Amino acid sequence: MKKTILYLAFGFLFTFSACTDDFDKINENPTALTAKDVSAKYFVTSAQQAFFGPNRYPYWRGPIIHVDRYAGHTAFGYKGNWWSDGLGYTYTSGYTGAVYDYMEGYNSTLSSFTNFVKPGGTLENDKYYAIALILKGLYYQKYADTFGAAPYIEASNPDITTPKFDSVQTIYEGVIAELDEAITLIGDATTTGSGPQLLGENDLFFNGDMQKWKQLANSLKLKMALRGHGGNGADYSAHVSSALSSGVLANDNALMSRDTEISTWVSAVYGDVWGPFYGGGNWHLGSKLVDHLRNNNDPRLSKYGKPIKGGTFTLERATSGSNTSLFEKHTDFLVKHLKDSGADVTDSGVTGDKRTITVASGAYVGQPVRMNSKIQPHLHRELFSEPADIVVNSKNTGKPIFPQIVMTAAESHFLAAHAALLGIGSGANAHYQTGIRHAMKLWDVADADIDTFIANEPMATLSGTTEENIAKVSIQRWIAYFTEGYEAWAVVRDTGYPDLPGLANTNLDGDMYEIGDLNGHYPQRMRYGSGAYNKNGDNVTAALSTQGPDVQATKLFWAK
Amino acid sequence: MKTKLFRFLSTFLLLFAFGFNLQAQSISGTVTDENGVPLPGATVLVQGTDNGVSTDFDGNYSINASSGDTLVFSFVGYSTQSVVVGSSATINVSLQPDNALDEVVVTALGISREKKTLGYAITEVSSESINTVKDHNIANSLVGKIPGLNITQAGTIGSGSRIVIRGNNSLSGNTQALIVVDGIPINDNGINSGGSVYNNNITGGGISDINPNDVESITVLKGPNAAALYGSRAGNGVILVTTKKGTKGSKFGVTINSNTTLDQVMFLPDFQNVYGQGSAGNAATSLADFTGSSWGPKADGSSQLYFDGSQRAYTAKPDNVEDFFENGIKSINSISIDSSTENSTYRFSYTNNDTESILPGARLSSHNFNLRGTSQLNDKLSIDTKVTFFSQDVRGKARTGGEGVVSTVFSIPRTVDMNDMKKYQMDNPASDADYRVINWDKLGSNTANPYWMMLHDQDIENRERFFGFTKLNYEFTDWLSGFIRIGTDVTNTGLYTVRQAGHHWYPSGRIERRGDRSGELNSEFLLTAKQDLTEDINMVLNIGGNMSRRTYSASWMYGEDFKINSKPFFSNTMINRFTDTPQEIKKVNSLYGSANFAYDNWAYVDVSARNDWSSTLGADNRSYLYTSVNASLLLQDFVDPDRKVFDLFKVRGSVANVGNDTSPYQLVQTFSVPGQGYLGLTTLNAPSTRLNPNLKPENIESTEFGLELSMFDNKLNFDLSLYNIKTTDLIFSVPVPAATGYSFFLENIGEVTNKGVELSLGGTVLNTGSITWNSSIYASKNENKLVSLIDDLSTLVYTTTNSGNLSVQAKVGGGIGDLYGSVWSKDSNGNHIVNDSGRPVATAPDQYLGNAQPDWLGGWSNSFSFGDVSVNFLIDGRFGGQVFSAVSSGADANGTSERSLLYRESGVTLDAVSSSTGAANTASITGQEYWGTMSGIAENYIYSQSNVRLREFSVGYNLPVADALGADSVYLQLIGRNLFFFSKKADDIDPEAMLGTNIGGMGIAYGNLPTTRSLGLNLTLKF
Repeated sequence: MKKTILYLAFGFLFTFSACTDDFDKINENPTALTAKDVSAKYFVTSAQQAFFGPNRYPYWRGPIIHVDRYAGHTAFGYKGNWWSDGLGYTYTSGYTGAVYDYMEGYNSTLSSFTNFVKPGGTLENDKYYAIALILKGLYYQKYADTFGAAPYIEASNPDITTPKFDSVQTIYEGVIAELDEAITLIGDATTTGSGPQLLGENDLFFNGDMQKWKQLANSLKLKMALRGHGGNGADYSAHVSSALSSGVLANDNALMSRDTEISTWVSAVYGDVWGPFYGGGNWHLGSKLVDHLRNNNDPRLSKYGKPIKGGTFTLERATSGSNTSLFEKHTDFLVKHLKDSGADVTDSGVTGDKRTITVASGAYVGQPVRMNSKIQPHLHRELFSEPADIVVNSKNTGKPIFPQIVMTAAESHFLAAHAALLGIGSGANAHYQTGIRHAMKLWDVADADIDTFIANEPMATLSGTTEENIAKVSIQRWIAYFTEGYEAWAVVRDTGYPDLPGLANTNLDGDMYEIGDLNGHYPQRMRYGSGAYNKNGDNVTAALSTQGPDVQATKLFWAK
Repeated sequence: MKTKLFRFLSTFLLLFAFGFNLQAQSISGTVTDENGVPLPGATVLVQGTDNGVSTDFDGNYSINASSGDTLVFSFVGYSTQSVVVGSSATINVSLQPDNALDEVVVTALGISREKKTLGYAITEVSSESINTVKDHNIANSLVGKIPGLNITQAGTIGSGSRIVIRGNNSLSGNTQALIVVDGIPINDNGINSGGSVYNNNITGGGISDINPNDVESITVLKGPNAAALYGSRAGNGVILVTTKKGTKGSKFGVTINSNTTLDQVMFLPDFQNVYGQGSAGNAATSLADFTGSSWGPKADGSSQLYFDGSQRAYTAKPDNVEDFFENGIKSINSISIDSSTENSTYRFSYTNNDTESILPGARLSSHNFNLRGTSQLNDKLSIDTKVTFFSQDVRGKARTGGEGVVSTVFSIPRTVDMNDMKKYQMDNPASDADYRVINWDKLGSNTANPYWMMLHDQDIENRERFFGFTKLNYEFTDWLSGFIRIGTDVTNTGLYTVRQAGHHWYPSGRIERRGDRSGELNSEFLLTAKQDLTEDINMVLNIGGNMSRRTYSASWMYGEDFKINSKPFFSNTMINRFTDTPQEIKKVNSLYGSANFAYDNWAYVDVSARNDWSSTLGADNRSYLYTSVNASLLLQDFVDPDRKVFDLFKVRGSVANVGNDTSPYQLVQTFSVPGQGYLGLTTLNAPSTRLNPNLKPENIESTEFGLELSMFDNKLNFDLSLYNIKTTDLIFSVPVPAATGYSFFLENIGEVTNKGVELSLGGTVLNTGSITWNSSIYASKNENKLVSLIDDLSTLVYTTTNSGNLSVQAKVGGGIGDLYGSVWSKDSNGNHIVNDSGRPVATAPDQYLGNAQPDWLGGWSNSFSFGDVSVNFLIDGRFGGQVFSAVSSGADANGTSERSLLYRESGVTLDAVSSSTGAANTASITGQEYWGTMSGIAENYIYSQSNVRLREFSVGYNLPVADALGADSVYLQLIGRNLFFFSKKADDIDPEAMLGTNIGGMGIAYGNLPTTRSLGLNLTLKF
């Protein structure tokens, strides 16, 4: 009997290797969906959020550490801050690399959406495809403006492992053509379809309104055409004209509301850095921004920032090192800046190794940008204006958070004004003032205050030479892009306004300004991440041969 | 401290008290050689225990043993002989010369073979070798004892170790050896193996769950050749653990072992004690201005503002880091009981490990129960069953990386007293601000307080593991036998972490709970047939099969933002999320067989084949065949017929082919729904990896040659192995430009090679009769090379530092673990370059700086015996290989290191040229600016891993008090581990400490717990 059981057991075990019937079944993932289970609308939300509301890692390293500061909107490096405001003027691969990885990596999100909805795709729909093309345009414009040449023509093709890089100009022209395709596909349509095809609330910009998508396409086309116009001798005036005549975002904004309850590792806001890292990682408004607002009685001053706290501060000479002899120079600079900014300052003057200043609260003082670590010990945080609460509110507190700007009506009008000043179209001043009105409404400025500003401030009327007028339009565009540093920085590089340290004057005073790798120059782009070299090195090298060396000082084709 | 000492002593007292009412007797006798000449220095051991003595000058010995015990007599060059103690108190033994041909070792599938017949290298380590200077993780007891084995540690209680045999054969995370216990493969994947520069909680698993006291022997099957019968699991070599069972014929016996050591910090980085907290030469004048760095003025004792708001004397606190660490105490106590009847044996053991870390509040406690029984049911059928239950609780495990507690402790400003950190939160907090952590930086900053991390936050890890098998063995005839065996291994791991409200990263608090369950069930059979084909040719045939079913499931949840700050629990959190991984199943069915031929007792040939069917691969690719051929030739009769020099002259060679398959769900493209959409809307995550329905298993081919010599009456033994391992079709998620539409392509790609040499030399150095000295030297070298990836791609990046200045890579033409980073730029004339303000300009982080794999590993073990005293020590070292010390770079940036004293007073005008003009530099920078820049340049912190240390040391003495205690024997050893370095090239760090136990964790040292020096006692009582 025992023997029988044993033989049976062995026999059973012998046959088992044929038992692979359930192998396919157990290798199916129960927690993942396949293409047949899903609707395209869910991808629209992801595609919008992933690019315009990335998680904290690229958000901190992109807007907060780099582009808002390059734009001159913000400054850190006050006393007690983690960083010197010089950060970013010397290459730190991990910091710019994070931005590169986010921008470069977004293509996989965009591609998978595009591949579904494009002609022949599993979820084919020409309206969704138009949306995909417009998102692609928004993506490539920001990506190329930040880094320069990027894979475009050979991109999104899994059969090409190492796609070639295309020049910024090629990308601009390609995107404009694809925007035209999207505009044609949308035509007069107002929705993406019905039933499961209907986009609706999953569209974070326009609630599925296709005509607004068409206006966005035209606004983007207008911006790119105008930015590229004249670069390398290109004439994009026809694109500018066709965008204006087809209809830009004249009254509506493309904004993405903030999710105020989402994890910072899904989507981040300024407050995710401002709140938890109180102190070390904070920042102030830049002096150029505050000066422009304050000196022109701009009602947005109190919307953007807060008055200084002030107080009494004893500034002390360093007891060792080369900083000792710079004490007078540093404190003189600080006191002068405070007084120039309208702060009420009582200054003891230097007595031995100390200088005591008492600064009244209430004034708006911006922090000069690109200060280095030498002067940092004197830059007390109470001496500079912080951003307004709506900018830096934390999530999960029930408090409102300013939305992410994609494109605004204000910008459409500023662009139209700028085009008119260049002789493309007309009505420069009217567009300019409408632009200011839209820009102020975005920040809930009362109509009466807007009227007063437009009526009374010389800044609000284009009354000078063409160049002076272009400066005004550019500066208003720049101001209107507060909280969207990528675009504000592009305005500075494109127009040369406003003037920031290193832009016109590259001979900065190294006793207080950060010279950096840039040796005093203004950052014109970010360097490619190490991922670009590791994964696609030969094509990066090829791109650099025409674009110029991979340094921050290399200008893009449209830069002034 | 007092309570620890009390516990330390009471453990011993308890053990002594336990022993008083048991019986033993003294056995004595003489050990002689085959001619009756006394053999001094022969070892006499009570089997299955640590109770052993050596014979004296006249070959005499005396040992306490009980009737039924088995005495094992051994001497180098002679065959080991066993004698069961009967009623006689005298046992004389005559040992026969060992022709070195009889050693039996455990091989793949648990098949015992004569070592001489094997065509591949195999190393066996005894129970004694891992049980003397004990570590809670037996992997750490293998360091330096086996050529070809590279073991690195993430260095905190309860975490695993990384075991790599003969180099990394795979590009993905798992390059660790397979662990097989009593024939059953067990899960060795820690659920978190680290590798991040920020924060790693490295959990243990696999081999770390095995109780060292239960181990009879460990056999290392080095490489594919020895492991070929494990097929698709053999890619990284196999470690076979054989556990103890009761001895047939022995009487009821009790062994008590107590191993207690005191652990102290071995060394700390060199800190400066001249300058204090502050920046740019200034101390803070208001609380808002505090910074965490030590770039202030000279700590001259003047009255300065302290972080708590008081005015204090501004003086250096040289011991502030050292003060944080406590004396750790490790106490491993076990009791084992074995017994036998005519047909059955039983063994039960219980081990309790109670370890207090050198970190305040950190503790490991584990219980291990083990029951083993064997029984001869009738003349043909026998049964062998084992059940092991293991339960472990670890609290306050230190995390490696820049955000871990050790990094925090090291960054304390030099003028801050660590004792002042013990108050980490305001009394009676009311508002959110009141809850914020108090630290040496400004109030409310995100700087951590190490006492908060250890005593206020919670990090709890629980593991429960059940392991067992039943094996039925049947002797069909005298030439045919077989067994069936079913074994199971189930591990449940729970992680619970709390970040209290006010925490430096999570000011509003966070709770996280994770549960993982992994299981493995193996059902197998093996038939063994022995036949003499001719008079000269004998054959052994094995045919077997295995069904392996591996499962994994997990759940994970976290809650953030406490509604009410005072207490952490889930319903008190504003945001909470839950993620569930339903059970994943992987099945692998296998059939295998081997045939071993022996010709005239000098030529041996083995062939083996195994076919695996894996559920993780597509129908067309799931079946695959692996083969191996081994040969061994014993040539001493031809080379040295008179045996003048060679007792053994063996050459061996082997060619094998094995594999490595993949995990479930790697074939079909899918989309996942993130738990959190956006604004309450459902979103879908598209896969960033392009999966591959045509995935194949990795293919590993290995060729090995060896030479084994035994000389001068077996007094000198030599073993040399040369191997060449080539892995192709590596399964890897290849990082591709995201412009392709994906971030990764999952592919079979490339080629990795590992070539190496392993050498061992050992023997009797001295044998004067009263003194014997045996010594062995091991050395091994492995060269790893990444030959190719996929077309157009040449680099994989595993880990990158926060600033990006250094990354751990695998580059085509280079090896796995290549370190790339920035260096100080030079012009074409070799001059260093600075910018216009005089600061060094770094290159892009693309310069080759070294490789994280050592060139050579070596060990030198020695054992001396004189009379009842025996002394063992192990010196081991690693030579070559580099490591990046993020610890040192951080300390330089912070101004806490001794190095950072340079240029503090005067500043420096660096001898360099300007990047803009090329002219000689004239700009002066401060010391803080100098170190601020230099600390970011990776090449400055690349250190050689070369080090030689006294790894293990023990002095044992057979206490002559056994009779008084009523014990058979009382053996006491003074033991030590990591006593000192003979040489170490790396500043600040132990070059063996790594970020994690996966492949990305190597090459960077950051925030590891300081290496400890252990000293203690090992007491074994046998009744």
